Amino acid sequence: MGVQQVRLSETVRYLGDEALDGLVAVNYGHNSFLESHAVFVLSGVRPIGESAVVVDLSGASTLIVTPAWDAERATKLSHTSKTVGTDDLPGTLATVLGEHRIDGRKLVSVGLSTLAQGLAKRIEAALGGNSRANELFIRQLARIRSPEELAASQRATAIAEQGYAHMLTCVRPGLHEYELAAELYCEMKRLGAEDNFLLMSASQHNLAVRAAGGRVLDVGDIILSEITPCYQGQFAQICRTTVIGKPTPVMHEKYAILQAAMRAGQKAAVPGASMRAVTAAMDDCFRASGYGDYCRPPYMRVRGHGLGITSDLPGDLTAESDTRLEQGMVFVMHPNQYIPETGYLMCGEPVVITPDGAKALSARVAELDSVAA
Amino acid sequence: MRTVQPCIVIGSYVWDQDRVPRDEFQIRIAELNRLMDANGWKAVLVYGDAAEHSALAWFSGFTTRLRWGMALIPRQGEPRLLISMSSRDVPAMKLMTWIPDVVSGWSWDSAFDPWLAKLEGDGPIGSIGFELMRPPLFASLQKSLGNRFSLQAADEAVAAVRSTRPRELSQIRAASRLVQAAGAAFVEPWRLGKDIETSALAAERTARMMAAQDVRTLISFDGGRTLSPFRGAFEPQADRQSGMAGYIAVKHMGYWADLFVTGTRRASEVEQRTQASLRTLLDLAKPGAVAAELYAKATVALAPYSLHPVLSGSVGRRIGLSLNEGGEIRSDSGHALKPGEIYSLATGGYDPQAGGALTSAMLAITATGSELLHLSPASKLQ
Repeated sequence: MGVQQVRLSETVRYLGDEALDGLVAVNYGHNSFLESHAVFVLSGVRPIGESAVVVDLSGASTLIVTPAWDAERATKLSHTSKTVGTDDLPGTLATVLGEHRIDGRKLVSVGLSTLAQGLAKRIEAALGGNSRANELFIRQLARIRSPEELAASQRATAIAEQGYAHMLTCVRPGLHEYELAAELYCEMKRLGAEDNFLLMSASQHNLAVRAAGGRVLDVGDIILSEITPCYQGQFAQICRTTVIGKPTPVMHEKYAILQAAMRAGQKAAVPGASMRAVTAAMDDCFRASGYGDYCRPPYMRVRGHGLGITSDLPGDLTAESDTRLEQGMVFVMHPNQYIPETGYLMCGEPVVITPDGAKALSARVAELDSVAA
Repeated sequence: MRTVQPCIVIGSYVWDQDRVPRDEFQIRIAELNRLMDANGWKAVLVYGDAAEHSALAWFSGFTTRLRWGMALIPRQGEPRLLISMSSRDVPAMKLMTWIPDVVSGWSWDSAFDPWLAKLEGDGPIGSIGFELMRPPLFASLQKSLGNRFSLQAADEAVAAVRSTRPRELSQIRAASRLVQAAGAAFVEPWRLGKDIETSALAAERTARMMAAQDVRTLISFDGGRTLSPFRGAFEPQADRQSGMAGYIAVKHMGYWADLFVTGTRRASEVEQRTQASLRTLLDLAKPGAVAAELYAKATVALAPYSLHPVLSGSVGRRIGLSLNEGGEIRSDSGHALKPGEIYSLATGGYDPQAGGALTSAMLAITATGSELLHLSPASKLQ
């Protein structure tokens, strides 16, 4: 039984426990890196446009995709009982709910709060206006990666590492940032990445990583890259720092703080640990080096975060999060940090939670890399 | 064409003052001020997200690459741009807009309420793009507005006064040149026997190396019967004699240009009828042309074939800061073409023996006719 069938079965069990007739999960047509994709989790399909999955208490399920012409592809991929293509999602949803004989008063919705409100209102009307929402259902349902999802995460990680290795062969003074980003992005696509949350930029003193632009690379630049390919619906992220020319001793010294924070975070991230505790373990490394005042925005953002589409749990690695880690959770851990002497530096790996702590999925953990000028 | 929205737009959108100087935005804001005066609006709030941000980009220069952005433009006082990004990212975001006051919208109360408090009196506020806003954000906004201010949709009023500016046309021509280069790169690998995904990736790489900010492709794995997103399988051509079909859209300096690519190795009637249909559209597309009549004549020229399903019953639409600026040319369209509008026209059909044929063009409607910006590359592969 594939993971979608397992999750559809768990959904039916949930409906029974809650005395509900059915569930409607919707998605807004984005391949979000930061949010779970309720339609993908239940059907195995990422439709081109807005979409919905209807599941009823008997176990029957229907995937509705837009645009209508995407139906044939979706039908081949979907694990639902039926697939329908349409250019009118609310209208077709109303019809499908009738076919499933679902009473709108005994219906739970997932994902309506992520839709554009114009569409959300039309869908709410199609649901009868009496449904209840459980926006957390899918992220909880899919919070632990299945073996095949973990394998895809590992493949995504390998693509990220190979892409970065390719980037190192392309870097040279005189290249535009966007040309380097094109090399990096297209190489990972050649390796099978369907999408990529890619940020890559360079400066002599970075404030943060940003989108690649028209800047021309030069000797002494520090290239920051946040490389996040998606493979079979699983994102993996590595964060890397590359110097054009020979890194200075102070660069090595400060980068070692990030590496120490990464190791401390991995050690602390055991099943049952809170995100708050893991964050504290990482921040302590910066505090010990005199950078406690910099453990907040705008000098950093978060120490890691969930990787979306399947589930965005465990959420952001912050000092405020009480979320508890569970074995099998996959997320990115990245003690990326602005340091006054060097500018922003990046160091991060995708990790899976094991009894021994957070195990990096990457084959080679981040070093301060350099390329000849 | 509807394409897959990527998780982030990876290209850079730094405000290029050589191409769009400050006075250009002064002209655009002056249009907005006239609307505010005419409607009694104290301000206009312009919302956009990563998928659709045409109005936001037109007024602020800011392109939303991730999540959402909103320009708060008062009739009196200073504008503010809210971005759904961390305060860490504000310095980079400030480079993307003429609005100096850029604030992270993540702390809503401290980002929006102080700006609102500076508005004098009470009354309506115009809103643009609010249909796209997520319900929780809208609830926060309504809470801030309270009973003092009401919202009035300004979308139609703004669309009526927003025309393609000469500087925009210059940028659209540049995007058109870029997509032509990418289109040519799309065909070449297939001609040499490579698979369709290698072909699409060659086109994408060409566009990105030329500073495209966004690239979308769709490809056919079945000789042009259907289109699919990129899947990364790179399966070899099953039949070296079969044709190819694909679609590419590129965004450059904020403006979209797109085209279909069809490759055929032998002449077919469906390909001839598709070309005849496009010629009909190009001959008739001029100021005052009624969209529904254009559709009717294009589909007559396509007969005996029906319009290809991937075109969703439309042979064209306006294009610009959005891949779909409206103005779909359908059987039931009620509008006529106007000078200054930029259209992407597309037509095609499918024959079970010969496969699918899809072709397209982009043109600017002028005062007296039209300016052809580009055509799909030639379809003959040999």
